[in-house]
Amino acid sequence: MGINLSEPALSEGFPQGEPSYALEVRHVTKRFGGFTAVSDLSMKVPKGSIYGFLGPNGSGKTTTMRMIMSIFYPDEGEIRVLGHSDAAEVKDRLGYLPEEKGLYKKMKVREIVAYFGRLKGLPKKQAFERATQLLTEYGLGDWLDTRCEAMSKGMGQKVQLLGTLVHDPDLVILDEPFSGLDPINMELMRDTILALKKQGKTVLFSTHVMAQAEEICDSILLIYKGQAKIDGPLSQIRGSGHRAIRLEFEGDGSFLAKDPLVDHLNQTPNSAEVFLKPEADPQEFLKQIVNKLKIRRFDMRDPSLHEIYVRTIGPEAAKEFGHV
Amino acid sequence: MSKRKGKAKLVAQREILENVRTKTFWIGILSFPVILVASILIPTWFQKKVDIRTFGVEDHSGWLLSAIEKRLEMPNFEALAKLLQAKSPSEDPQDLSKENLPEPPKVSIPKDLRESTLGKFLTAFTQMSAKAAKGTNGSNENAVEKQNLNTLLLNLLDTLESTDIGSLLSHIPIALPIPKGKAKEGLKLFLRNMRNDIAKFNDWIKTLPEEEAAKLKNPHNTSKFQLVTKGPEEQLKEQLKKEKIFAYFVIGKDPVKGDEGNKYISNNLTDQGLRRWFSNLANGIVAAKRIQKLGISPEKAAWLQTPVKFAPKKLDEAGNEAEVASKDIALKWAPVAFVYLLWISVFMMAQMMLTNTIEEKSNRIIEVLLSSISPLELMTGKIIGIAITGLMVVGSWALFFALGIYLLPTFFPQSSGIISSLGLGSILSNPAYLASFIIYFVLGFLLYASVLGGIGSVCNSLKEAQNLQQPVILILIIPLLAMMPIASDPNGTLARVLSFIPPFTPFVMMNRAGGPPATWEYALTSVLLLFTVWLTFRGAAKIFRIGILMTGKPPKLREMLHWLRAPVNR
Repeated sequence: MGINLSEPALSEGFPQGEPSYALEVRHVTKRFGGFTAVSDLSMKVPKGSIYGFLGPNGSGKTTTMRMIMSIFYPDEGEIRVLGHSDAAEVKDRLGYLPEEKGLYKKMKVREIVAYFGRLKGLPKKQAFERATQLLTEYGLGDWLDTRCEAMSKGMGQKVQLLGTLVHDPDLVILDEPFSGLDPINMELMRDTILALKKQGKTVLFSTHVMAQAEEICDSILLIYKGQAKIDGPLSQIRGSGHRAIRLEFEGDGSFLAKDPLVDHLNQTPNSAEVFLKPEADPQEFLKQIVNKLKIRRFDMRDPSLHEIYVRTIGPEAAKEFGHV
Repeated sequence: MSKRKGKAKLVAQREILENVRTKTFWIGILSFPVILVASILIPTWFQKKVDIRTFGVEDHSGWLLSAIEKRLEMPNFEALAKLLQAKSPSEDPQDLSKENLPEPPKVSIPKDLRESTLGKFLTAFTQMSAKAAKGTNGSNENAVEKQNLNTLLLNLLDTLESTDIGSLLSHIPIALPIPKGKAKEGLKLFLRNMRNDIAKFNDWIKTLPEEEAAKLKNPHNTSKFQLVTKGPEEQLKEQLKKEKIFAYFVIGKDPVKGDEGNKYISNNLTDQGLRRWFSNLANGIVAAKRIQKLGISPEKAAWLQTPVKFAPKKLDEAGNEAEVASKDIALKWAPVAFVYLLWISVFMMAQMMLTNTIEEKSNRIIEVLLSSISPLELMTGKIIGIAITGLMVVGSWALFFALGIYLLPTFFPQSSGIISSLGLGSILSNPAYLASFIIYFVLGFLLYASVLGGIGSVCNSLKEAQNLQQPVILILIIPLLAMMPIASDPNGTLARVLSFIPPFTPFVMMNRAGGPPATWEYALTSVLLLFTVWLTFRGAAKIFRIGILMTGKPPKLREMLHWLRAPVNR
């Protein structure tokens, strides 16, 4: 196989016991001139999982993905993709959707999807068949021979995604797949990622929106300024911290932050994620607020990814994410 | 490895397909025949559209104007002689071979004219002068060159009219039906016959198609200049003031004696065509009169008036002197056309490389491509694809050109002379030209496409690229500037030096093909060029792989040099 199984996993307790990895990144560093884009980054993406690659813009996500696709080469460290140390050897089994998406304007829709397939080694006939099939599945059956320049933005995004999937890749790498999508296409993207997982494919995607990752990821890696901050299965990461109280209410909740029982909180006008001091009793807290606010929801749960991230990199840096 | 090649091939295929679908490609292909046809037709059309210059003359001499008018009525004896000759080839085919004719005649002289006195005279005269030229190689001063036929005949006719010199008989190459002792009457008869025949020939010429007739008319007889009034100067002055005439001439009392009283009056001082034309005509007549006054025989007069000429010869492969045909001259100049074609196609295709690279980059499609293929494969594929597109364009041009040569004369008879005189067919079928054209196109294109591909890869917009490509265009202009000097001296110092500078090699060596350069020069320059192409391609590939993913400001030259030093990985 060529995969080093003896090395201990970065995080313990993968569900399948002995995991095998679709992707291993070991102590990778990449510099551009004097600027270090990625610094000593390690990650392991288990086969058949959905892996979220989280971090604010400019934190090194795209550079890492380009190194995985062997568009760039790391200055230090090693990347093993599908068990091969040189990703160029397995390029045909990878699908990559870059953040900056583009199509040849003059090419026809089916032609360009098939072209991407052929670049991945599909024979001509098969590439066209696959392209026709996928485009029809995704509701573009009537547009097969339309030139790309005549497509709407949303349709173009679909075509782009299909170009990534046409050769049935084992490892799919999506750079900010949700950015710029309308709600319908966002749903479609989510379903596609989940369907890929069902087929046993591995999906690695980057995002700077925590909620998206929270929703579908099995494992995540938080990256900030080129360095990995947290990584591992999502359940484990979230289970490791304080429990939080998810509060939804009507009324002026500005007093919450001053409440002596509250350690800190993440607040929006009508909701809050409240973290109590270690010795505080949640029951007591509920009693205190029940007269001041109209409570719509009060539940105890694991902290959100946002909270974890804020705790890890500090509130100032976390602002770069925007609100959750 | 074969897989990699396959991918570069895919890129090339797509590139060709995409280029073929652009309007630029078709405009490029179709513009050439349009330019070709236009470049032949427009000058002829313009020539026809030239303004007619009307003029008036006051003749104080009393005879010069009528002599000029008479002379204008004379046909082109030389052309007539050639035409007669074409239908009745002489016993000496070498000297009178068709090569000396602009083309096989389209018309033939009717039998009665052929057997008229003038017809016989012209035939006999050309045969005689041809024999004389061959037999004595011009050392005999009596051997009158056939180029001189017009002068001789005009002199002869003038002389016959005004004098009764019996010795003239010896200059007439045909037997005249002259009774013994009545030479004078015989000459008079001959003269009358000649005059009648000239009128007959003129009538016949009028029945011919315009194109053919123009060739047989007196070269001075042009519709461009028209004599509209004769009259006293006062009247001419009035007309000039009213702009009814372009200019007027006044001929002095005795033009044979001197120029006193001769003048040319016009308000347009830039166009001297009319003045020169009229002076030329008058000059010929007055010179003949002066010579005649000295008692010199017309034959000697013709000889006196014969301009000095040096016959162009060349050495053939065996080292013998050989005739220079117009074809040979065309062959010498053909490389210039090829250089133009080479330059335009290299420039066009390298530009295409630049714009397509920038398009892919600004399109953001580049990253998808690079997730499937390496930058080197991408660049190789693009270059091959564009090179094939370029060869398609150039090939279609060559096709149009060849078609044009065969078809143009059918549609536009006036172009046939130009085309056949160039001997273009022999150039097109000369494999040395075509082969070197293709080789130099491929190498030159590779060189410039690599450079412009590298430039394109670091730019985000055409505007940025325009600044960066300026040095390249400056370099490209040099062979264009040097084209004419090199064509006239293909093996000179300039040509030699430039052909050893690789960026110029394809153009300059093509330019020198008429020379042609020595084999070692071909070999050495090719090796140098190949080496440079290889080096440039490698360098461009390095810049390409880094530049193509860069956004923001284009890198500085120093940074790019730094990239060049980086090792190539994969």
